[in-house]
Amino acid sequence: MQEFDYLRPRNVAELKENLSQPGARILAGGTDIIPQLRRGKSAPKILVDTSGIRSLRFIEDQGDRVVIGAMTTHQEIAESQLVSDLNPALRIAAESVGSTQTRCRGTLGGNIANASPAADTLPPLLVYEASVLIQNLSGEREVPLESLVIGPGQTALEEGEFIHSISFRPLTGRWGSHFIKVGKRKGMAISVVNAAATVVLDKKGSVSKARVALGAVGPVVIRCRETESSLCGKVPDRKVFEKAGEQAREEVRPITDIRSTEEYRLHAAGVIVARVLEAAAEQARGRMG
Amino acid sequence: MKEIKVEFTLNGEKIALQSEPNRTLLDVLRQDLGLTGAKDACGGEGECGACTVIINGRPVNSCLVFIGQVEGQQVTTIEGITPQEGYHPIQKAFVEAGAVQCGYCTPGAVLATKALLDHHPRPSDQQIRAGLSGNLCRCTGYNKMLDAVHLVVKGEQND
Repeated sequence: MQEFDYLRPRNVAELKENLSQPGARILAGGTDIIPQLRRGKSAPKILVDTSGIRSLRFIEDQGDRVVIGAMTTHQEIAESQLVSDLNPALRIAAESVGSTQTRCRGTLGGNIANASPAADTLPPLLVYEASVLIQNLSGEREVPLESLVIGPGQTALEEGEFIHSISFRPLTGRWGSHFIKVGKRKGMAISVVNAAATVVLDKKGSVSKARVALGAVGPVVIRCRETESSLCGKVPDRKVFEKAGEQAREEVRPITDIRSTEEYRLHAAGVIVARVLEAAAEQARGRMG
Repeated sequence: MKEIKVEFTLNGEKIALQSEPNRTLLDVLRQDLGLTGAKDACGGEGECGACTVIINGRPVNSCLVFIGQVEGQQVTTIEGITPQEGYHPIQKAFVEAGAVQCGYCTPGAVLATKALLDHHPRPSDQQIRAGLSGNLCRCTGYNKMLDAVHLVVKGEQND
């Protein structure tokens, strides 16, 4: 195991101080970073353990936005009625991360900062156009989640910065949201492909807004903007969604790796985009406007 | 690397210890405290669940918890739920259902079951499968564990 000095701030003010030291890195849930440290893939001089900071662990309805603290665990998100009511896609995604054991440790902030192309919580947050509140010793900034994750394992976070919380605006009207993951098996699997979608229907039942995001088919989780705009004004049926799936295949660049092949991922991406949209539309239809 | 002082509650008793910070809870339990019920099978990847302990009521992989992270927490290991004489009802049910063969995964699976039943006293099959999906077994398979959990729920295990 790599050597490091260890700090355990009790609050955000101490965290800002601790993290401003050169070579400091955050230890959140530890489910990704501990194996990395064991393999020597990461070598921080100082590990700043945020697991004792209670104020970074919350799920709140602030009226126009739902705000989730960075240290909230996947298990807490999966069990949250608020998340289930307002972003069902995120609830399903959080429930599908790893095993109960890793969900009880792994955090939303950690899942974002780890920036895996296969991160399960990212597609549901991207289709809600989530933003991230970032802080450091000198202040704070809020950025769209989409611009924060810039490559596999890479974020736009600068030294001394940390994710405070993640927020998104709930959808209104006749809306639905869903998440689907394809893995090697049901439990304890890293996504081969994953997808989230939101669909909002107008009074006549046509699509007024759709959002689609796909994971594990490119260096970062991808919003499929052409697929989204191609759905606008359409009366949703299976054919429309199958076409959207074909369109989505044009927008992704999967690779072959240990978990799957380029060909399989491309095929599966189209299939799950159609399915995730259909499920979201079905939910929207069942909701009173 | 500076040593750190950690205080936490282990199996109901407050303890304080010194450790290098780059050691996991699993390392400390096994090497310093002689509690060898939690085991390492996957090499510290969090894949197998053999090192499962309960922290604040939740099942976690102790190989993915640095020792400093348990400061102030309530940790329960298999030794903590096993009575002086005899066995815990979940342990009895595992034996009864034939869910124990080599025994390596058993402490972890028993603790995962305990955490599951503490949250869901009457779990569905789906909830049992999900609750135990983080515990790999290479001997008996998983259906017998499912049977064992049903035995516990029904209170049918032999005393």
